[in-house]
Amino acid sequence: MRIIDVHTHPIFFRSGSKRAEVAKLVARSRALGIVGMVSLGDVLLHGIHPTPTQVSEMNDTNARLQSWHPDFFSSFCFLNPVVGERAVMKEVERCVTKYGFKGIKLEISNNARDACMKPVMEAARRFGLVVLQHSWSMVNLKLRRLHSDPADTAGLARRHPDVKIIMAHLTGCGFRGVLEAKGCDNLYIDTSGGYPEEGLIEYAAEHLGADHVLYGSDLPIRENTVTIGRILGARLSAADKQKMLYGNTARLLNLK
Amino acid sequence: MLIDTNANLGPWPFSPLPDYTGPQLATHLAASGIRRALVSHLGAVFLPDPMPANRRLFAAVKRTPALLPVPILNPALRTWPEQLAECRAAAPIRAVKILPNYHNYTLKTRALDEFMAALAAAKLKLILNVRLEDERHKYFALRMKGVPMTAIGGFLRRFPDHHVLLTGIYKPELEKLAPDHTNFSADIAFCEWINTLELLLKKIPANRLMLGTCTPLLSTRAETDKLVRSRVPARTKKLIGSVNARRFFKI
Repeated sequence: MRIIDVHTHPIFFRSGSKRAEVAKLVARSRALGIVGMVSLGDVLLHGIHPTPTQVSEMNDTNARLQSWHPDFFSSFCFLNPVVGERAVMKEVERCVTKYGFKGIKLEISNNARDACMKPVMEAARRFGLVVLQHSWSMVNLKLRRLHSDPADTAGLARRHPDVKIIMAHLTGCGFRGVLEAKGCDNLYIDTSGGYPEEGLIEYAAEHLGADHVLYGSDLPIRENTVTIGRILGARLSAADKQKMLYGNTARLLNLK
Repeated sequence: MLIDTNANLGPWPFSPLPDYTGPQLATHLAASGIRRALVSHLGAVFLPDPMPANRRLFAAVKRTPALLPVPILNPALRTWPEQLAECRAAAPIRAVKILPNYHNYTLKTRALDEFMAALAAAKLKLILNVRLEDERHKYFALRMKGVPMTAIGGFLRRFPDHHVLLTGIYKPELEKLAPDHTNFSADIAFCEWINTLELLLKKIPANRLMLGTCTPLLSTRAETDKLVRSRVPARTKKLIGSVNARRFFKI
């Protein structure tokens, strides 16, 4: 079974950045059937509000992985939307033209409802990029100023129907998050985040369609054997599992 | 052959989980290579008296030898001695499980002196459950954290002659507890990071880890793959997957 992992942080607080470490990760991943990995960057290295210079440094580091293993890594451009339209546009254009990044990664600099998202979405539209938004149910965490609740990410997708958006962290979004995403054709959900809670994969497939569920691990916080096993063990057809593990992301990002 | 030290029957009020019968659970576990499982009943988590759920457990596993019943008791209830006696009369049990956070007592309670002595006299093992769910995803009105590691550390020091199994412990908690205490083993259900077992084995020997899946709250296949598809030596997998549980519970 071929697998693409759409949600990874191979370098995490600078750990795992050496070439030999990256090669080991690639080899181990390939042994599990992973043929491609989307690297989202070392997104919390400089805290929640990195400067434009720090953002560029993180994206350059991410690009290095892609240059070492171009047939394995794809990259998303990490952004801090709070720094403003000019810096956002400049960084996206740089990452697309210089490195060929496939998408935009948004973490916890702001909420997806905020006005500063407008230029980010304009950049995604202009360069044809997918936007992956960190999302987690804020019912218990009470940090909504910075973390996007599934309702916020779904709202973003509804305001921008011409941009494809990935709502990250199915487990963190939970059953309510799936219902928030329901009926939004440009919105996908990745299976990363949290322990392999039973029933959520099937629930997402039932309400969003298997075509809208993407395999993601959140490596290194999570283990690929566990995150893959969760899909393989789900009460779904083999065809639906293959879509989640490979086909949906390959199609979304135009990967072979 | 795998032995699961942390499986459950019964419904869970906050998730639409499969509510297996005994034979259905055994079949489900077998699909992931699990041939024996220590099973408790989730009904005992929330009932003020755990015995109705324990009785359902004994009835459910009666004709399913793959499932070994582990009743849940509450040592803070005055009636625990007669409840323990009822459980022992109902089935040949190997262990009992306690849930201090769900049952609203601390591990400092004096009731545990008699309780632990009774378990030792009956040659029963204690399973201390740290958590059943990721705290971040609990039902919004259920404000409950895992059992604190400081409390577990105190408990382990207080009962040095008892070797207990901790279920539902997080990896950082286990790594913190392991250097100071040797009288516990742990299941791996809530331990996760890239290369989980390779990292854990740097902090705790393989003979103190056991497979636990926390079925049906967590995905059985995902939890067994954590062990089966890991890169630790086959002998280590065997220890964690079955040998340690067989020795500890005398299965």
